[in-house]
Amino acid sequence: MREFISGNQAIVRGAIRAGCNFVAGYPITPASSILTEVMGAFAQGTGVVVQTEDEIAAIGQCIGAAMAGAKAMTATSGPGISLYSENIGLAQMGEAPLVIVDCQRMGPATGGATATGDGDVMFARHVTSGSYPIPVLAATDATTAYRLTYEAFNIAERLRTPVILLSSKAIALTRQTVDLEAVKLSKLVERHAAASDTAFQPYHVDQPGGVPDFAPIGGSQRVRFTGSVHDEDGGLTIDRVKIDAKLRRLNTKILGVQHSLELVDEDLDDSADTLIVSYGLADGAVREAVTQARDLGAAVSHLTLYSLWPVPGDALRRAATSSIQRVIVPELNLGLYVEEIRKILPGIEVLSIQRIDGGLIKPQRIVDAMMANHRGGASNERSST
Amino acid sequence: MTTLAVKKNDMAFCPGCSHGMVLEHLSAALDRMKLTPTDVCIVSDIGCIGISDRYLDSHTFHGLHGRSITYAEGIKRARPDLTVVVLIGDGGCGIGTAHLVHSARRGADITVIVCNNFNFGMTGGQHSATTPVCAQTPTTPNGATDYPFDVCQTVGANGASYVGRFTAFDKDLPQRLETAIRTPGFSLLDTWELCVAYYTERNPLNRKTLSELSDSMELPLGELYNRPRPPHPAEPASRSAISKTTEPSNNRAPITLSWPRRTEFCVAGSAGQRILSAVGVIGKLAVAGGLHAAQSDDFPITVSRGHSVSNLILSDKPIFYTGVDNPELLLVLTEDGVRRVKLWERLSPHALVLAETSLNLPDTPAQIERINCKTAEKLVGKPSAALALLSYAIVRGQWLDENRFRAIAEAGIRGKYREDNLKAIDAGINLAHTGFESA
Repeated sequence: MREFISGNQAIVRGAIRAGCNFVAGYPITPASSILTEVMGAFAQGTGVVVQTEDEIAAIGQCIGAAMAGAKAMTATSGPGISLYSENIGLAQMGEAPLVIVDCQRMGPATGGATATGDGDVMFARHVTSGSYPIPVLAATDATTAYRLTYEAFNIAERLRTPVILLSSKAIALTRQTVDLEAVKLSKLVERHAAASDTAFQPYHVDQPGGVPDFAPIGGSQRVRFTGSVHDEDGGLTIDRVKIDAKLRRLNTKILGVQHSLELVDEDLDDSADTLIVSYGLADGAVREAVTQARDLGAAVSHLTLYSLWPVPGDALRRAATSSIQRVIVPELNLGLYVEEIRKILPGIEVLSIQRIDGGLIKPQRIVDAMMANHRGGASNERSST
Repeated sequence: MTTLAVKKNDMAFCPGCSHGMVLEHLSAALDRMKLTPTDVCIVSDIGCIGISDRYLDSHTFHGLHGRSITYAEGIKRARPDLTVVVLIGDGGCGIGTAHLVHSARRGADITVIVCNNFNFGMTGGQHSATTPVCAQTPTTPNGATDYPFDVCQTVGANGASYVGRFTAFDKDLPQRLETAIRTPGFSLLDTWELCVAYYTERNPLNRKTLSELSDSMELPLGELYNRPRPPHPAEPASRSAISKTTEPSNNRAPITLSWPRRTEFCVAGSAGQRILSAVGVIGKLAVAGGLHAAQSDDFPITVSRGHSVSNLILSDKPIFYTGVDNPELLLVLTEDGVRRVKLWERLSPHALVLAETSLNLPDTPAQIERINCKTAEKLVGKPSAALALLSYAIVRGQWLDENRFRAIAEAGIRGKYREDNLKAIDAGINLAHTGFESA
C-alpha cells in the first residue's frame, strides 16, 4: 500500500518494525518530529518515550535502557550529535546496542536549522575519542530511511554497537510516496542472549573478534557495564594483554565482518566509462541524471552507498569495472567522502561535485559533468548554483 | 544476600577515606530491605566513588562523569521493578546539575547518594561545587569564594520526594537509605565525607567538626524533605506487545489517476493560510490515486509569521529528485509568497502563475492569471481558502479532470477535516467554471 509520509515518519516506522521500545530525545530541527511521532506510536504502552533535559541525558537514558534489555533509539541533528559524542564512546566501550539518527542540517554550530546538507559524513565516523569504528548508514529518501533504520537496529543488535543513521533535512521533512510493505528487509536480529546455566562474564567472547553474549541489567545474572577499559568480568583492568584484546576486539568485531555490512544499490553497465557514486541527498538527483544521460545514449554506471562506514570497498571495486575511466562523486558538502573513494580506487580519475549552500545538487549538473566527461573536459566542479 | 563483596579495609580507598563506610551503609540498607544483589543496580559516577562497582555483587553500571543519573533513569524506565541507586560525588553533582534537577522534576524513582567530600579527590583536590567558602584547594589558592551549591534544596525545590543531609559517620544511615529507597519518586542523600588525601590536609575538618561546618555553612544536617510522590504509572517496555507489522489498514481509494509526466507545483503565501496542509491533502490524494508525490515545505522557524511555501511534485513514476526548479504552476497568495519565490525570471513561458489580484509581481516569462483570495475565503472560510484555490488551479491548468478529482477526493480524504476539505475542493472546482467575477 502506498502512503505519503516524511523521512522522519519513515524512521519511526522502521524503528518500530525492528522492535524499538525505548526512545529518548531532545527537540531539535529537523529531527523533532521523530520524537513526537514516537509519542503517538508508543501511546498504547508498547514502548517508553521521554523528552529529556538535553541531548546528553537523551543518549544516557538510551544506553541505560539498552543495557537493561531495551531496543533503544535517539534522534538529533549535528549540534546534538556533538553533545552525544562522549556517550557514543561509552556505548562503544560498554558495547551497548543503540541506534542514533542524525538528521543533518547545515553546520558548523547552529548553522542552518532548516538548511539541508550531508556535512556530517566524516563526523559520524570520527565522532568520539579513540577512533574505534562505528557503523554508519545513510538514507537517500523516505523509503530507504525506513529500511536503513530497521537494518541499523539489526547491526546494533548483532554487533552490540552504536550505529549512526544519517538523514538530512530534505529527507527528514519531505513527504514522499512509500510502499513500506514492499520494502525488502533482512531477517530480524536480536542480540545473542547469554546461556543462563553458566557463570556469566559480561565481556567474555569465544574468539578474538567476537561479540559478547548479552544478559540484561536487572536479570538473574549479574551484569557489570563500564566505560573504563575492562576485563571479561567488566572489572577495570591494567593488564596490557587484556587491554589490547578488548580494544582490538572493538575494532575487529566490526571490521572483521565489514563485507557483511556493505549496503549498496548497484545499477551497473558493463560498457560504461563513467561511474557515479552517490549517497544521501545527492542520490535522488543522480538517479534522475542517469536516466537522462542514458536517454542521451551515454553508457554510465551508478552505485548508491547506503553504508558509508566501514567504507564498502568490495562494492566500489566491483562497480569500477574495467571500462570505467572516471568516477563522479556528487556530495552536499565540501567533497568529503570522495577522498575515501579515491583511496579505494587509486589510478582512476575521481571527480567531485559539491554544493554547500543548503540547496540540492540539480540533476542537470550531474548530466553536464557526465557529458563533459564524454568530451574529456571535466574538472572538479565547485560552484554552488 | 549482602551486596558488598569486600570488607571496607580491603577496598582501594585511602586509609581514613569514608567512601567504604558509605558502601557498607548501602549494603546494610539493601540487606534490611531483603533485596538480593540482582534486585539492585548501582550506577556509579566518576571520581574515587566510581571504583565502587568492583566491591558490589549487584548489577553495576559505570558511565561518564556527571551522567550517572541519566543511565539510572533509563535503566529504571526499562526495568521498573529494579532498585536503582546512584553513587555520585560532589564533582558529578556540579557537572551534572541539570540531570539532578530534571530527574527530580520528573520524579524518577531512583535514589542518589552524593558522596560529598567538598573537593575533587581523584584529580588532586581541586575545588568542587560544594567546596565551603574560604576553603583552601589547589584552584582556590586564596580561599574559595564561590557560594557552595546546596544540592539538597536544589532537588527539594524541584520535586524530590525524600531529601536529607547526613554524614558517612551517622550510625542510622542504613535506615535513612532504606527510607530513601522505599520512598516513591526521586530521593537524594547528601552524605558528607572526609577526603583525607587532599581536603583535610589543607582544611581543618574531621568527623567531629562536620556538624560545625554544617552550622557555619547554614546547611543543616538531617532529614529535609519527606513527601512521597507516586511516580507516574510505569510504562512497560514490553517487547512482546509490539506488533510485527506497523502498516496501517489498507485505505487506498479504488480510483487510479493517470498522469503523463513529472509535474512541479509551488504554492506560496503566508503563515496561517494552511498552505502546507492544502498541499498535503492534494499529495495524499495523488498517492491514493496511485501516483507518486513529493512535498517539501519552506517556512521560517517562527512558524506563525512570514512566508509559507509548499512545493509538490506529482508523477506517474517514482520521484527521486525532490527539488522543485521548474514549477508548471505557481500559485501566489500574498506578498510574503511573492518575495520568497526566487525563480520568477527562470519560469518557463508555459508555466502558469495564478496570483492574488492585489499583488505586484516581478517580471516573468510565465503566463499570469489573477485570482481573488477574498472570494475563496468568502466561499469556504479562511482556513480552507488555500485548498480551494489549489483545487481551482489544478482544474484551471487542466492537470486533472474534475470528475476524477471529485471522485478521488470523495474516496481518498479521511480524518477530522474530511468535510471541510471536500467542501474546499468542491468550491475550487466550481470556481473553475464560474470564474472569480461571478462567484
